[in-house]
Amino acid sequence: MRNVLAIAGREVRTYFTSPLAYVVIGVFLLLSGYIFWASLVRFSELCLRFASNPYFSSQLNVNDMVVRPLFGTMGIIFLLLLPVVTMRLLAEERKAGTAELLFTSPVTSGQVVLGKYFGAACLLLVMIGVTLTYPILISNSGAAPDMKPTFVGYLGVLLMGLALLAIGLFFSSLTDNQIVAAVSAFGAFLMLWVIDWMSSSATVTLAALMNSLSLGLWEKAGLGTGGPTLGDLLGSLSIIGHLNDFRKGLLDAQHVIFYVSVIFMALFVTQRVLESRRWR
Amino acid sequence: MLEVSDISKIYGTRRVVDHVSFSVPKGEILGFLGPNGAGKTTTMRIITGYVPPTSGTAKVAGFDVQEQPLEVKRRLGYLPEHPPLYPEMLVRSYLEFTGRIRGVPRKQLKARTDRAIERCGLQAVAGRLIGVLSKGYQQRVGLAQAILHEPDLLILDEPTVGLDPNQIVEIRKLITSFAGDHTVILSTHILAEVTKTCHRVVIINEGRIWAADTLAALEARGGAGRMLVHLARPADEAVAALRALPGVASVDVPDARDWGLVVSQRPGQDAREAIAALAVGRGWGLLEMRPLTRSLEDIFTEIVRGDPQAAPSAGVATPAEDHGGAA
Repeated sequence: MRNVLAIAGREVRTYFTSPLAYVVIGVFLLLSGYIFWASLVRFSELCLRFASNPYFSSQLNVNDMVVRPLFGTMGIIFLLLLPVVTMRLLAEERKAGTAELLFTSPVTSGQVVLGKYFGAACLLLVMIGVTLTYPILISNSGAAPDMKPTFVGYLGVLLMGLALLAIGLFFSSLTDNQIVAAVSAFGAFLMLWVIDWMSSSATVTLAALMNSLSLGLWEKAGLGTGGPTLGDLLGSLSIIGHLNDFRKGLLDAQHVIFYVSVIFMALFVTQRVLESRRWR
Repeated sequence: MLEVSDISKIYGTRRVVDHVSFSVPKGEILGFLGPNGAGKTTTMRIITGYVPPTSGTAKVAGFDVQEQPLEVKRRLGYLPEHPPLYPEMLVRSYLEFTGRIRGVPRKQLKARTDRAIERCGLQAVAGRLIGVLSKGYQQRVGLAQAILHEPDLLILDEPTVGLDPNQIVEIRKLITSFAGDHTVILSTHILAEVTKTCHRVVIINEGRIWAADTLAALEARGGAGRMLVHLARPADEAVAALRALPGVASVDVPDARDWGLVVSQRPGQDAREAIAALAVGRGWGLLEMRPLTRSLEDIFTEIVRGDPQAAPSAGVATPAEDHGGAA
């Protein structure tokens, strides 16, 4: 644990002594702040317009109209910004030769991975933490959002960010070139975003797919050809799709489990990549 | 302390390290000498566990590098060829970080860091960014990082590269002061380095060990038994008379003008007394008589060139013939 903290601490210090952290956080705050402000302005305009109509104005909800789009925006900004955060984590160590220090120290590769990951996670926490001021700013106004669903939304954004970081860290472990790491992480993020666009048109069931793959053995074994379609599978892999319930303020275990398993898987594979150095 | 047995490393089809075996007892400084690209760095990386060997084993303090890497790494201080520095860190916080991941107890961390800073002469730059330091200072920060946790085995890959002559002398002193309690392996392609600091030398070329011996033994090899006899009054019969002495194998006159004779003794016989008596008795005026030793430079060049005379002799090295079948 001490090693993990030492590595994570060094990582955080590096982020915040270089312009990187400030640029990333700054861009993130600018964009999310702009969206927040824009939706707030629209919301207050609608409130004014329908002030005389008690039915319509009762339908206007600040959580639906301001907080929810904010989380959606954050998710998309993460797709674009987090590759920049993760690209240097392991690639730079290899390039600069400092990997030689890390891997000749009495530190396991698991500790290296966790240290790096926690370091990046700290940056993400700061990024998200600062935006907590948005709902707090309006909490004393007439448009005070309901705090409980807001926090659920924050939890969702945080989990999604952590999952993206883990995937980005994995791509950083594969190469010593930061650009390559960033581009492949970005590609993977986008893929995980658009993967569910097929979900309604891919109507072939998974069982039927398995059947044709196994040359009919699947059906002979009496496993059936019904059940979920390929589209269902792709849809449940969407990294942004799992954020939707959080944004509505719904805390559902399946989404938490999805993000946690993505994090765990990505970190595990990263550790294996680092470990493979020992027998390559 | 360190036992390397039959290590090979193959990258693709290129055999970078070829059946290398040697061992270093505790407290010794071993010089790893070879031209660039001889396999020094790869061998060192294998010992540190950074690179796995294709075959063979390396053991530090009885622990196998591949089987128990953490135990080995706990006992290891390593300065790679390019010092592993984070340019955006301050010297002091960098050293504290390396101490921490090397497992220095929290209470001792500050004292050890101070000591390493002092030993490597970094007091003046302790609060500065590593990235802005000169190459020499960066090299010293790298060295400080390697000795900070007082490792049993210190591995230094070309430790004096990029230093000015004064600093080189200081670093040599530092390395010498480490022998005794600690074992040191240092690689270099500079011969003076080895002569000044090392107890034993391993000469490596094209991935193979060509010679492994103490410095004195290496210098004596080939040069043993030859001496220069300098006479004041040239006498034509001197050469013949010397040749007639029982212990003398041959007499050469490399330069006829100053009568410096190169006398080779028969192996195992000492003809010095007889030569002196003869020269004095005949009144040739014996000015000088000294053994001719070849410098390490000569030995090195000859070995690396593949001079058959200097090529690995019995029991020392592992040239291809020995292992041709095994490979």
